[in-house]
Amino acid sequence: MPYDIEEVRRKYIGFVTAKARGRYPVEHDPIRRHCHMVEDNNPLFIDPGREGGAFCPPSGWLAHYFASLGPWPAVFEPLFPVVPTPGKRIVNMSQEVEWSARIRVGDHLSVVRRIADVFQKGITIDPEAVWIVAEAIITNQRDEEVCVIRNTLLTHRTPEEVAAANADA
Amino acid sequence: MKREQLYWDEVNEGDELPEITLDINVRRLFLQASGAQDWYPVHFDLAFARKAGHEDVFMNTGFVQAALVRLITDWMGDAGFLKRLAFEMRRQHRPGDTMVCRGKVTGKKDADGTALVFLEVWAENEREGIATPGEATVVLPRTPVAEG
Repeated sequence: MPYDIEEVRRKYIGFVTAKARGRYPVEHDPIRRHCHMVEDNNPLFIDPGREGGAFCPPSGWLAHYFASLGPWPAVFEPLFPVVPTPGKRIVNMSQEVEWSARIRVGDHLSVVRRIADVFQKGITIDPEAVWIVAEAIITNQRDEEVCVIRNTLLTHRTPEEVAAANADA
Repeated sequence: MKREQLYWDEVNEGDELPEITLDINVRRLFLQASGAQDWYPVHFDLAFARKAGHEDVFMNTGFVQAALVRLITDWMGDAGFLKRLAFEMRRQHRPGDTMVCRGKVTGKKDADGTALVFLEVWAENEREGIATPGEATVVLPRTPVAEG
C-alpha cells in the first residue's frame, strides 16, 4: 500500500502522548558524564558539594533524558515510533529549546510529547523522506514547565531500501 | 573554584565568546555514548552509518548541544540564565575533525526589566566550515550598585 502523507498528516499532527515521568530523579553522575564528554568542568554542574546545590546544564538533550530516556534494555529503533514513515533511519536536523526555569539535582522531571508537523520532502538518497517536527514539554515535580524542546527529525530509507522499492515499482 | 560573573552592562554588540576546541576521535565517540546515552548506531557503528548512506559516523545532537551550552555557560557565569538555544545540524562533525565552538554578541535589550543578550553561536570544523549554526538568548544580571 503506498504511503499516504496526507492521511498521516491528518491523523498525527497535533497528536499528544501521555505524560511520562522519568525513571530516576535528576542525579549527579549522568550530569558528570554529560559534562565530561565536552570537557565541561563548571562546578555549577559537577560539584556535588556546591553551596546551594548543583544544577543540571541547560541542555534540552539532558532534560529529555531525565524526563524520559534511560530505558534498559535500550530501545534502538524506531526512535520515534508514533508516526509511521517509509524509512526508519533518523537524523535530528535541528533543535530549539526555550527555558523557563533551571533544573536542580533532585528534581524529578516528566515529559509530554506533541507532533507539531509532518511533511514529505525528498533528500538526495531518498525522494520520499519524511520530516517530523516534534515538541517535548518538560515539567518538574511541582508541575512547573522547565523547558520546551522542538526537534526537526528527518526520517529516510537506506539506499538499498530505495533501490528495492524502485525495482518493485 | 568560583567563576567570574559577567554583567549585562559590560556586554557590547560584537563581543566574542571565548572559543572551545574539542578533538573528535574514537575516545570522544565513547564519551559521547556515555554522556548522551544515545545508542543509535549511526553515531558509533561505521557499517550501520554507511548502509544509511553516510560516509562516516558522526556526532549526535546531544554532544553538539552540550558543547554549545558549555560555550555559553562558561561565558555568562553562574548567575546567567540561558533562555533560548536553537541550532541546525546542517553538516557533520566526524572522527578526525577538530570541532571549534564560537559565538558573538549580536544585540542586547531591556525587555520590561529583563536584561537580555542575543548571541550567534556555532560549531565548525576544518572539513566543513560552520557545520552547526545557531542562536541563543541569555539573561544576565546587572552590575550591582555600590551601597553608601
